[in-house]
Amino acid sequence: MSPDYTKEITLVQGNLTMADLDNAISKPMNEKPGRKYFIALAFTTSLLLLGVIGVSLTFFYGIGEWGNNQPVAWGWGITNFVFWVGIAHAGTLISAILYLLRQKWRTGISRFAEAMTIFAVICAGIFPIIHTGRPWLAGYLIPYPNSHHLWPNFISPLVWDVFAVSTYFIVSLMFWYVGLIPDFAVLRDRATTKIKKTVYSLFSLGWKFSNRDWRHYEKTYMILAGLATPLVLSVHSVVSFDFAVAVLPGWHSTIFPPYFVAGAIFSGFAMVVTALIFVRKVFDLENVITMDHLERMNKIILLTGSMVGYAYLMEFFISWYSGVPTEQYAAINRAFGDYAWGYWIMVSCNSLFPQLFWFKKFRRSIPVMFFVVILVNVGMWFERFIIIASSLQRDFLPSSWGYFSPTWVDFSILIGSFGLFFTLVLLFTRTLPVVTMSEIKGVVEGAQPSHHGGDHNG
Amino acid sequence: MSEVKDGTNNEEIKQEKDQNYWRSFAELHKDPALIASSHNEFQEGATDDFDPSKLSRVSRRKFLALVGASAALAGVGCSDYRDKGEIIPYTKMPEDTVVGKPKYYASTFNYGSISQGIIIKTREGRPIKVDGNPDHPVSKGKINAIGQASVLNLYDPDRLQNPMKKARSGEFLKTTWQQADSEIVNALTANAGKEIAIISSKILSPTTKKTLDDFAAKYPGTKVYSYELFNDEVRNSAWKKCYGTDYYPLIKWNEAKVIVVLEADFLGVDGNKVENSRMFTEGREVSDAKNFNRLYVVEGNMSQTGMNADYRLKLRPDAQNEFVLSLLKEVARRTAYELPIDLSNFSLNNFAKTYSLNTKKLKYLVDDLVNNKGNAIVYAGRILSENTHIAVNLLNDILGNTKLFRTDSDVYSAQPLSSKEELESLVSDMNSGKVGTVIHFDSDPVYHLPNDLGYADALKKVPTVISLIESANDSSAAGHFTLPINHPFESWGDAKTRTGFSSLQQPVIAAIYNTREKEAVLLNWIGGANSKFSDTMYHEYLMKNWESNVYPSLKSRLPFKEFWYGALQEGIVLTNDSAKTFGKFNNSALNGINKTNSKLSGYAVVLNESYSLGDGKYLNNGWLQELPHPVSKMTWDNYASVSQNTAKTLGVESNDKISVTIGKRTLEIPVLVQPGCADNTIAIETGWGRTVVGEVGKGTGFNANVLLSKDAKGSAWLFTSANIKKGDGSYKLVSAQEHHLFEHSPNDNTLGERHIIKEGTVKEYLKNPKFIAEMSEEAPVDEIYPKHPGYFTGVKWAMSIDLNKCTGCSDCVVACIAENNNPVVGKDQVAVGREMQWLRIDTYYSGSEDDPIVSTQPMLCQQCDNAPCENVCPVAATTHSKDGLNQMVYNRCVGTRYCSNNCPYKVRRFNFFNFRDHFRDGFQQKELLDLVYNPEVTVRSRGVMEKCTFCIQRIATEREDAIREHRNIIGANVHTACQDACNTNAINFGDMNDKNSEFYKYRNHELGYYVLEQLNVKPNVTYLAKLRNTHSEEV
Amino acid sequence: MANKKLHSLAALFKTPDEIINAAKKTTEAGYKKFDTNTPYPLHGMDRAMGMGQSKIGFVTLFFGLSGATFIFLFMWWCYAASYNIVVGGKPFLAIPAFIPITFETTVLFAAISTVVGMIAVYFKLPNNSHPLHDTEYMKAVSADKYGLVIEVEDEKFNKTEVTEFLNELGAYKIESIYFPEEEKHRMFEPKFIVFLIFVALATSGMTYVTLNKLMYITPFDWMDKQDKLSAQDGSNIFANGEGMRPPVDGTIARGYMPYPYEGQTNPAQVLSNPTIPTKQVLDLGKRKFLTFCSPCHGNFGDGNSRLQGQFPNGPTLHSDKIINYPDGMIYHIITNGQNAMPSYARQVTRDERWAIVDYIRVLQRAQNAKESDLTSANKESVSNVQN
Repeated sequence: MSPDYTKEITLVQGNLTMADLDNAISKPMNEKPGRKYFIALAFTTSLLLLGVIGVSLTFFYGIGEWGNNQPVAWGWGITNFVFWVGIAHAGTLISAILYLLRQKWRTGISRFAEAMTIFAVICAGIFPIIHTGRPWLAGYLIPYPNSHHLWPNFISPLVWDVFAVSTYFIVSLMFWYVGLIPDFAVLRDRATTKIKKTVYSLFSLGWKFSNRDWRHYEKTYMILAGLATPLVLSVHSVVSFDFAVAVLPGWHSTIFPPYFVAGAIFSGFAMVVTALIFVRKVFDLENVITMDHLERMNKIILLTGSMVGYAYLMEFFISWYSGVPTEQYAAINRAFGDYAWGYWIMVSCNSLFPQLFWFKKFRRSIPVMFFVVILVNVGMWFERFIIIASSLQRDFLPSSWGYFSPTWVDFSILIGSFGLFFTLVLLFTRTLPVVTMSEIKGVVEGAQPSHHGGDHNG
Repeated sequence: MSEVKDGTNNEEIKQEKDQNYWRSFAELHKDPALIASSHNEFQEGATDDFDPSKLSRVSRRKFLALVGASAALAGVGCSDYRDKGEIIPYTKMPEDTVVGKPKYYASTFNYGSISQGIIIKTREGRPIKVDGNPDHPVSKGKINAIGQASVLNLYDPDRLQNPMKKARSGEFLKTTWQQADSEIVNALTANAGKEIAIISSKILSPTTKKTLDDFAAKYPGTKVYSYELFNDEVRNSAWKKCYGTDYYPLIKWNEAKVIVVLEADFLGVDGNKVENSRMFTEGREVSDAKNFNRLYVVEGNMSQTGMNADYRLKLRPDAQNEFVLSLLKEVARRTAYELPIDLSNFSLNNFAKTYSLNTKKLKYLVDDLVNNKGNAIVYAGRILSENTHIAVNLLNDILGNTKLFRTDSDVYSAQPLSSKEELESLVSDMNSGKVGTVIHFDSDPVYHLPNDLGYADALKKVPTVISLIESANDSSAAGHFTLPINHPFESWGDAKTRTGFSSLQQPVIAAIYNTREKEAVLLNWIGGANSKFSDTMYHEYLMKNWESNVYPSLKSRLPFKEFWYGALQEGIVLTNDSAKTFGKFNNSALNGINKTNSKLSGYAVVLNESYSLGDGKYLNNGWLQELPHPVSKMTWDNYASVSQNTAKTLGVESNDKISVTIGKRTLEIPVLVQPGCADNTIAIETGWGRTVVGEVGKGTGFNANVLLSKDAKGSAWLFTSANIKKGDGSYKLVSAQEHHLFEHSPNDNTLGERHIIKEGTVKEYLKNPKFIAEMSEEAPVDEIYPKHPGYFTGVKWAMSIDLNKCTGCSDCVVACIAENNNPVVGKDQVAVGREMQWLRIDTYYSGSEDDPIVSTQPMLCQQCDNAPCENVCPVAATTHSKDGLNQMVYNRCVGTRYCSNNCPYKVRRFNFFNFRDHFRDGFQQKELLDLVYNPEVTVRSRGVMEKCTFCIQRIATEREDAIREHRNIIGANVHTACQDACNTNAINFGDMNDKNSEFYKYRNHELGYYVLEQLNVKPNVTYLAKLRNTHSEEV
Repeated sequence: MANKKLHSLAALFKTPDEIINAAKKTTEAGYKKFDTNTPYPLHGMDRAMGMGQSKIGFVTLFFGLSGATFIFLFMWWCYAASYNIVVGGKPFLAIPAFIPITFETTVLFAAISTVVGMIAVYFKLPNNSHPLHDTEYMKAVSADKYGLVIEVEDEKFNKTEVTEFLNELGAYKIESIYFPEEEKHRMFEPKFIVFLIFVALATSGMTYVTLNKLMYITPFDWMDKQDKLSAQDGSNIFANGEGMRPPVDGTIARGYMPYPYEGQTNPAQVLSNPTIPTKQVLDLGKRKFLTFCSPCHGNFGDGNSRLQGQFPNGPTLHSDKIINYPDGMIYHIITNGQNAMPSYARQVTRDERWAIVDYIRVLQRAQNAKESDLTSANKESVSNVQN
């Protein structure tokens, strides 16, 4: 690549040396966490505990503990699933797509984003299992040879989900781990205690920073990025098929895949920004995760937010244009029916407020962006809820119309999923480098040979 | 390793690293060759097996494998098979019994003043299902919801299991029969001279009557009282005045061309619904649409009959009298008939103005009556006053409609009901201590009789109060002895409600608990102190009675024993007593019926019998409690239904409480705004709100009997100028269906464009028989997929539902529950929309809010050929069978509920809980209730999706038979439970590929349409569009 | 040197330019077994070390494609071959519906194979016992220095020469790397064996409890035990614990009129045979005869008992007396029993009894068949077909 990229924005400010970087990044892992950290951890784990209670109740007594009913057989369970899968998308997107696009500014945030991907997928993965009536049989969704020669129904979108989400999880995990190997090696060599040393060497697999390895390493990383990119797009398309493939008015729509993918990136970036705002402050990494990073992410939020907004309008057009009374009714009912309140929360949070980012001032102002991204997180959750609930509550036969209202268990599980997510994030920040050391070193001033005799092959 | 300044200096290193272990002598002596080789060794990597250290490392790696293996071994080796319970055969195998094959017994089921012939299906000597007896002249193989559900009462855990005696503390303690018998017999003999009052519900059994007579003979001073909460007394007395005979004759509904019912729910609770519906719909055969009958309904509240009306006029019930007289006058004028009474101050037109009746409909009504002389019938409801009935009789008389009265059969009553006066004198006798003993003979007078009769208080003054009942009720609680009696399915008996036949009742299971037949108890007491009770007592008594009283009159050629066996097998015996013939109309009856009632003020309150609970006896029956009300779809409670306007004036909405005050009697009850209810009319159903009742009935509904009064004028159930106030607070009523009002007619936007309901008028149909087919604009879509070989070619199961015959009575729903082991979910779960009924009756209103058109549509799994539910099931738990069934594999179901989401008809039901455990915590898991379940049908676990299976267990039985008999499966041999239950045979089921079957005709009828056919899911349930028999083509 | 084996000499450099230059030089100097270690990939290093492109992409391609084909065929096989179920009227080879899974699996196979290939095949990892580990050198290169290693195995290796060579290249520090000590384990340390046994017991115990106990407590429900009462189930409701109830005395089920001549010996009148001896009826009769009658009366009704006199021999059924019995009489005897013969009413249903009667007639006829029977038998069989 040409050095201009690195010039474009200063990736590492306050000209730190590599050693400084190593210190800065590995600091959280070397020193004992302070009181604040434990308070935070206590908070998130208590949220998690609440979720655990909700889940165990559901497991013992059944889905009846939730608000689900006929006709709204899917409620918050699937809403949360889609929400978290959406969150999960930013990570891989940031790392993989930006990597392919040679966006060097990604280095500062990629590691963290990938971590969030993995945690989000973990949160998402829980819901399809606990939302089943008999979770202990969830294994039936996996094709394994059995005495009945029974296989999953491969034409069911839920089975597609199983494949998509598990693939996504595995691939992101590998992508993450491959990126971590050199850093593990660094930590291994910096390790002070025996345990740390053994653990880190275990994970570093005995990486030697050998250039004979580096070349395979870079190739592999490139390939993984190449595989992950279409995967990201496919996963949320598949998730959207859960709805698009159904006959239900309000679900049965071809706009869903792009609509969902855009939404996923949207919410994902919002979530990453939310987290980064804190991380860069708490672990004083302002120099590594710079305001420019945030601004760029806000631009993407603005873009995807507008795409989502366009989709909302499009839904109306399509339903009108289809000429199908049920479809038209579904659209009207969505905006003005029992769930109008939710719908307008969704529209304002997702399409209106992000428009603030047209102004550089707002893009670069921490409070504003925090306000907006929080709203976006809320709004995107509501989007999934509205799509599910408002379509189900009033479908074809008015005789079977109903209304969904959540129970406290629904709330506890939603809260619990956030608890799980942030608990994992907290643990992550203390155990692993939140920034890719080997990459960030590669982009500091003078990290690369000054005289590129035209002999770089990227 | 120490710091190394430069590579050349190795000395220090050596010193430090000297304490290395040596591996071999050669090495110790630093043999260079070995050093070299030891280098190579590292180049080759982990390939050298001779290095012990490597070996050891390998063994380490084997570690996990070992662990895994041991785990697997443990799993396989240790898995023992769980105890599935032992097999317990018959110790003494009864003759003609094949274990696992059902046996059917003909019997009789009595409730209220109705006796139904039933066939009880038993498995291994346990009754599990009830259907109508096809040989029974009235039932003709059908039975109502209460009959269907009565099997649940047999296995009701709240039944009394032992005789109980009230202790001083006031609580009932268990005692023995011997104990109770001796004490009671003493009591009976002791207070000789004092009255022994036996209070019974209507007595339908001649033999029971005889028992009571014998009892009276043994214990002089015995008086037998019988009452019914709702009865035909008014109608009958009016008839007696007009024609002299005791009972209002039966009507040939099937021959009537025009039927005008005034506040008479003859398709619901007024009369024998099963018979009426059947005969009524005989006049609605699509095969000859020309001769459709026409139904006019003039009523206050929207009743089940009102839903089926071609023309419905709403009128507050207390105005009916004036209406009839005005109508009478109008008809007389039109037919130039000289009225024997002066009706000068009545005028139909003025009446129509004052009560804003639809004049157009009214004109049609009069025209039809006049033009169909002799083929029309005007029928007044039992809750109307005697005068009204007399006027109606006159109306029928002058129109010559009397020839629509049946002469082949007539009402028979073993024992007429006690008059109001008799009951009053009884109470006063009780108060004055003249009554020594009161025996509640399977009755609940404390709950039923008007409060101001003071029965409950009088009861306190009676030294011995005995209740012979199945489960505790308000009356037994007030008594001293509570003696448990057998359920009808455990009892012998007979019944006679019509001339021309009597029916027999035989037990299908020995008494489950320590209970006795109520008659046997009396017989035992007749026997006196030293009588030996035996279970066969009443059986023998019954046989003896028949042998001496019935058998001789029949002049049968068979010896009695064979005759008796035959009679038991048939369930009924045709007798040769004929109907009474009635004479000419007696004008003296008319005296004083023509007084004008001034313009009515205040509110009219009308009490109706509950559609599902009868007089409240079945309050503890979960199936009936959860059965949606045929009109309002309400479950678990009763309510006051009012019109939109009335609600406005009262300032209430649904669920708000109002307080109804009549005289000094007040009732607080929640309101339901019922479209089609007349203004200023409050309609309340009775049967709820018993204070002493079992787990299920506890805290359901409100006791509307408190409004009854001993000195009600004209009619006991209709009150005028009642005082209604907005009550305090509200009460959540739960409905199984949201109600929405739609455009002008069912064919308009919401229903029409969605292809849910298609309707027309007879005229349209006659003009263009194809008009229903032409309603759907889409051309049928071609299949893009190839057909699956071997699918749908042989037998293919399908159903057709004739909406011209469906009255929306919901009996089929109970039949479905009884057949398919559906749990009761309870009010809280219905409230959140989790009811488990596989079959529901959808009700749609169209037209205006206060004068709606009602369309009903039974909705069950449509068994679509291209079932959307199947595509989305991730585990292939619902798939398609070769004979066209959309199968549900419970064991495979994980419970993602995706299928339910994707079902356009929303007929799938999900076990959100283990409802058997969840409802009244574990009530339905009591072991006694295990006996009610159909052994052929899985009892679904929690988290499993379920739905209508087209009664696949019955299809399987037919398949077995076909295989055993080496023949093909015959579609007509399979009847679904709902089909068997349908009073009007609206439901047809069979093999759609069988060209010459009766069913084929319906399946491919030109009026047939599919619901939501535009989705191209290819349903296998055909609906025959409803034709309304209106004058013009518009609905 | 002492009892330590030299693995290589390692030189450290401070700047990327130096190391690139050093790498070039080393290559030119003809060293083969050398390597450079840098904290991050250096651009141009591959060229400098004379290495070509990595070939790992082919692994990805191959496994990706094989994954795709495998899963697609597998899904098709599941529907069409292994267990063909019709779902929503869709064909067995529902290509559009197979696409998502095919795609996902492609990615999965490709990704896993690539990573595994890189780590295991190309890097030969995990290998934590490489001599370079735990050296100052490694610490330096993992942080911010750039290193070059020349191994002993290189045929041109000569300690002094290499040291000089490295110094020339401008290494600011040179370190000799030695083989670390081999830690040794004996095959079977008792501690380990005990531990193994313990783990085996623990896991097996847990598996047992889980599979046989835990999975059958609430809420787990496999619907193997249901609340209903099937045939021959027990029930605590009834005193004798039997779920099956005898019918109440005197009740008559539909189609089960009691036998009128019950208990009578040689009744005056008997029922007449309602059955037509069709093939099916006779087959049924034969089955039942062989099951219930033959033990005493012999397979051909010739009184040749199988019971070897443990029970009074049944008489032959070919005596004139029995041949002249009306069908009803034989039926009566089966139903009612006679002399030593008990009633078979409970074992044999009514139509089975009549079928047996018919079959006995066949046996009797067979014993003394006439020429004419053949033709008539044919006739009969023809008529049976019609029946």
